[in-house]
Amino acid sequence: MSGDVSMADVSVGNTEEIAVEDDKMTILPGMASDGSAASFKIKDEDHTLGNTLRYMIMKNPDVEFCGYSIPHPNDNHMHLRIQTYGEITAIEALQKGLRDLVDVCDVVENKFRDEYNKGDYVQEEIA
Amino acid sequence: MAEPEVTVRKAGKDNVDVVLENMDLSLVNSMRRVFLSEIPTVAIDLVEVEANTSVLADEFLSHRLGLIPLDSSLANELEYTRDCDCEIYCDKCSVVLTLNAVCNTDSTLDVYSSDINVAVPARSDDSIGRPIQSSTDERGILIARLRKNQELRVKCIAKKGIAKEHAKWSPCSGIAFEYDPWNKLKHTDLWYEVDADKEWPKSKNCDYEEPPNLHDKFDYNAVPRKFYMNVETTGQLKPDVVFERGIHVLETKLAEIALALSKAEEETDW
Repeated sequence: MSGDVSMADVSVGNTEEIAVEDDKMTILPGMASDGSAASFKIKDEDHTLGNTLRYMIMKNPDVEFCGYSIPHPNDNHMHLRIQTYGEITAIEALQKGLRDLVDVCDVVENKFRDEYNKGDYVQEEIA
Repeated sequence: MAEPEVTVRKAGKDNVDVVLENMDLSLVNSMRRVFLSEIPTVAIDLVEVEANTSVLADEFLSHRLGLIPLDSSLANELEYTRDCDCEIYCDKCSVVLTLNAVCNTDSTLDVYSSDINVAVPARSDDSIGRPIQSSTDERGILIARLRKNQELRVKCIAKKGIAKEHAKWSPCSGIAFEYDPWNKLKHTDLWYEVDADKEWPKSKNCDYEEPPNLHDKFDYNAVPRKFYMNVETTGQLKPDVVFERGIHVLETKLAEIALALSKAEEETDW
């Protein structure tokens, strides 16, 4: 099948896992050599972060695809896959996603604090 | 998308009712999950039974003690025992509580959570680890009843933990979570005998949203935008503290990943 792009044609940057010493984050084998696509293995995380991080990264117009999975319920790690259109690297997309999410959290926290302190709501008696 | 909006509808001693707008379901759900199971609190984790002549077995009593809500407003000052340098437990990673009760009368003696004492108030503020009392005139939770000559003498070691490990560490007794009360998005399929509209009670949150128009076509692009959340706590933490600490826990998780990512990036040298 001559028209098909086989896996061998895709330039692969790493064939081994890239792990940092504390193992929180691992870049799985098969990252594109230009960095535009990569899979990350994140230890001790689950749907709590996975789903919302996936959403935030997908919001980025430079990102073509982002998905997460929990490969097995017995293993406490999460996989995150990011593919970009090539304008930015997958690592940059993840960094931006993390930053954006922290910013949203800050906004929500500040708004809640302001609203709560304003006291403009039904207050049940405090014994 | 417009900026996130937060409206507090109602707040009390142990619950806060909020409406969150212009946020994604995934983020609000992350908040819910973190509030329920990842905010550190303190709870009795080790029980040394010196004397127990009550009718309750030691392990039954230990379990009951573990579930008693303890003041956790200063939980962040405590270390996790697993991160601590000590052998079993120490002042840095635990709070020691004692419970001593003997029944000397012919009538039964009720032992309440208010009978538990913080043994060594080592820290500057001794509020940490104190059993929660919803008001000053009540005696708290009934732990056991003793007959004449029965005795309880136990030493409890309270430790910091999160509810992912055991539900006793959860600062929330429940979180009410709802969106789209009119089911316009059809995320739920309401079972019915004859007519779903008549058989299902309407949520009170329906008052906060426009009822569906019968002639409108189904909007398949619509996404949930308004979330109703009522955070109810066990008293270990105040509800607004749960909200703030929960968001901090989420931010800490993100920061940890960002740190690990920057390290991993250094390793990619092509």
